[in-house]
Amino acid sequence: METLNLLMQGFATAATPMNLLFALVGVVLGTAVGVLPGIGPAMAVALLLPVTYNLEPTSAFIMFAGIYYGGMYGGSTTSILLNTPGESATVITAIEGHKMAKAGRAAQALATAAIGSFVAGTIGTALLVAFAPLVVKFAVSLGAPTYLAIMVLALIAVTAVLGSSKLRGFASLGIGLAIGLIGLDPVSGQQRLIFGQPLLIDGLDIVVVAVAIFAVGEALWTAAHLRRKPMSTIPVGRPWMGRQDWKRSWKPWLRGTAYGFPFGALPAGGAEIPTFLSYITEKKLSKHPEEFGHGAIEGVAGPEAANNASAAGTLTPMLALGLPTNATAAVMLAAFIQFGIQPGPLLFEKEPDLVWALIASLFIGNTLLLLVNLPLAPMWAKLLRLPRPYLYAGILFFATLGAYAVNLQAFDLVILLVLGSLGFAMRRYGLPVLPLIIGLILGPRAEEQLRQSLQLSGGEISGLWSEPLAIVIYCIVVVVLLLPLIIALVRKARGGRPSTLEEVTMGATPEAAEHHAVHRSAGTRNPQDTENATENKEKV
Amino acid sequence: MSALTTRLRGKSELGIAALLGILGAVVLWDGLHLQTTFSQTDPVGPRTMPIIVAGILLVCAVLLAVNVLRGGSGEAEEGEDVDLTHPSDWRTLLPLVGAFVLNIVLIDVVGWVISGALMFYISVWALGSRRYVRDALISLALSLATFYGFYLGLGIPLPAGPLEGVL
Amino acid sequence: MSVVVGYIPTPEGEAALERAIREARSGGTLLVVVNTSRGDALVDQRFIQQQQAENLARRLEAEGVEHLLLQPLRGHDPAEEVLEAAREHHADLVVIGLRRRSPVGKLILGSTAQRILLQAEAPVLAVKA
Repeated sequence: METLNLLMQGFATAATPMNLLFALVGVVLGTAVGVLPGIGPAMAVALLLPVTYNLEPTSAFIMFAGIYYGGMYGGSTTSILLNTPGESATVITAIEGHKMAKAGRAAQALATAAIGSFVAGTIGTALLVAFAPLVVKFAVSLGAPTYLAIMVLALIAVTAVLGSSKLRGFASLGIGLAIGLIGLDPVSGQQRLIFGQPLLIDGLDIVVVAVAIFAVGEALWTAAHLRRKPMSTIPVGRPWMGRQDWKRSWKPWLRGTAYGFPFGALPAGGAEIPTFLSYITEKKLSKHPEEFGHGAIEGVAGPEAANNASAAGTLTPMLALGLPTNATAAVMLAAFIQFGIQPGPLLFEKEPDLVWALIASLFIGNTLLLLVNLPLAPMWAKLLRLPRPYLYAGILFFATLGAYAVNLQAFDLVILLVLGSLGFAMRRYGLPVLPLIIGLILGPRAEEQLRQSLQLSGGEISGLWSEPLAIVIYCIVVVVLLLPLIIALVRKARGGRPSTLEEVTMGATPEAAEHHAVHRSAGTRNPQDTENATENKEKV
Repeated sequence: MSALTTRLRGKSELGIAALLGILGAVVLWDGLHLQTTFSQTDPVGPRTMPIIVAGILLVCAVLLAVNVLRGGSGEAEEGEDVDLTHPSDWRTLLPLVGAFVLNIVLIDVVGWVISGALMFYISVWALGSRRYVRDALISLALSLATFYGFYLGLGIPLPAGPLEGVL
Repeated sequence: MSVVVGYIPTPEGEAALERAIREARSGGTLLVVVNTSRGDALVDQRFIQQQQAENLARRLEAEGVEHLLLQPLRGHDPAEEVLEAAREHHADLVVIGLRRRSPVGKLILGSTAQRILLQAEAPVLAVKA
């Protein structure tokens, strides 16, 4: 009941004309960056951080929330119309959605993605409302050792589970932790990694680092590898769905939501696994399994819902514990720090207005997305024709402007370029950037908890596992680290049967991708026929 | 010598391992120079975290070097607008970085409007646009708009340089 | 000897192609179809994809003209590519399509057609959609 009251107050704050305007700006901006190649929600929020310096934090976060949800919406639009998944979470959408679009059902694919996103986003946000206060209530009773354990888990999970190479993940984490050390030690006041450079005493501005890694590094990387062969989008009118489409979509939406939310809430759960799981489930349950790989609407509805629900899930640990689990959440946490707001379980207590207005704005933003974007899909597709010199030069321009505006000193631009080059090199050599950012954000906080833990125990190292929950979490950390080893052993024992997860990743998509390849090579020989064949199957 | 060069060819990733190693060494060196006076209120002290971080970095450096020498390599990042079939295009990259550096040098001298416009113009050219007049107009409009936007909208006075008083 | 046509999948492009086919057939010469893009955007609807290219080839075959489809992607202006194809294949005719444009629209953009008209060495036939 109390939660409901707080939420209503949140709506009152978020529904002021000014904040509604910010939500609208966020939603439109988010969709645009989702559609545009080479720029995503994390980069957009990073670029906007300096601009929001003088804004009311609540308004800024309302806008960021819009960007986060809008980015996902825009990403699915390009996946469907262009077959270029911008991120791994939309790979599945691209497989089925693009097939649908090619078969002349782009309008339905876009509609089921949009409405599914709305349904999943709304339910996901409702789950956030229900669970976040519970998590907070539980979390405030925890001591420093358990917090430290949770942070270690978050750092390890993001590093070890995501990305193809653990080693490179840990390298990235180490760099992030090292950057986090720069500045004055908060307890003893000693200078760390400053090298007599007075401008470094306050540490590297987290905004500058985020802009460098996400915007400058990405823009330089893309600029060095520009796609020269233009693609063409599939022309589309206003998205709509027929009765049959609704009937086939609503269950996948709900099931996708059920997959997405918990995975999003887990550290390193992400959006990728639930979209795969949703796809597999829908394929199994569908009355038209033969359509999968050729444009089945369930294969768009489920994964898209899972994707958006996981976004809502991600916000649960971010708001309740101050733990970022993906890039956008990490940058939003950086924004909290910029505004001088301490993230963590006390956030709900100390900044209830902000938190509940943010959550209310998620409901509003979700609805706005649907209302604004359903009629505008054809316009978004046109955005892809923006000449990229302007796009990438613009990213560099605004990155520079933002980093400079933080302190008005050219020194920050030197840092921006150095770290931007680092971001470039990391992309070149396959070092994931997410562990770096999360290490930078969580590193100093983990150190604080470490010191508090041992202070409580009077220097006894056993203070680290003085709370039962901490022990449990460290056990999970060990399992996460050893999981690949365990899987390998189990497989050996069973004689080479692939695990479920591998079935998902190896089995499902490449199979569909194979369809793709077969289809394409057949298309070279006699395109008209194959195309017709697909279309016939579509209508069955 | 030649055997060594052939072995090292295509192993530029060793540079990353070296970078990690240097970074780890620097963090360690800096950490060991911190003064620790044992106190009841802070038994961990300022040195522990740097030593842990340095440890992670050094271990990663060694493992990465071994991994690369054994033939491992990181997967370059894919993207919507990224075509990995051709190598890094230095003829785009170098002028872009040049524009960036020029901006760093000029911004406090000639102000944001001029240096920002210049940076955008050179970047657009580096990225392949050849509509010189239109690009110049857009560059100028963009830097003027951001200058006034930051000044009037956000209250952040970007440097005006020699245009002080004109703008 | 050849007929060079700048082709884009729009009404004016189709009109130009149709006329070029007729010219090539009556002259019994090679038809060089140039379809290009500066490639400076992720999406360019004027650049025809494999599927469309195959359809085009089939259509030209059905028309019975000897043809060549060029799709250069060198980051050059479309005008430049058409001009170069005309030089290389010793064109005795260049065919381009024109959009009916308002005087204001003409002011803003330097058009591809204008450049070809001014710089081509061969006679240029401009077809309106």
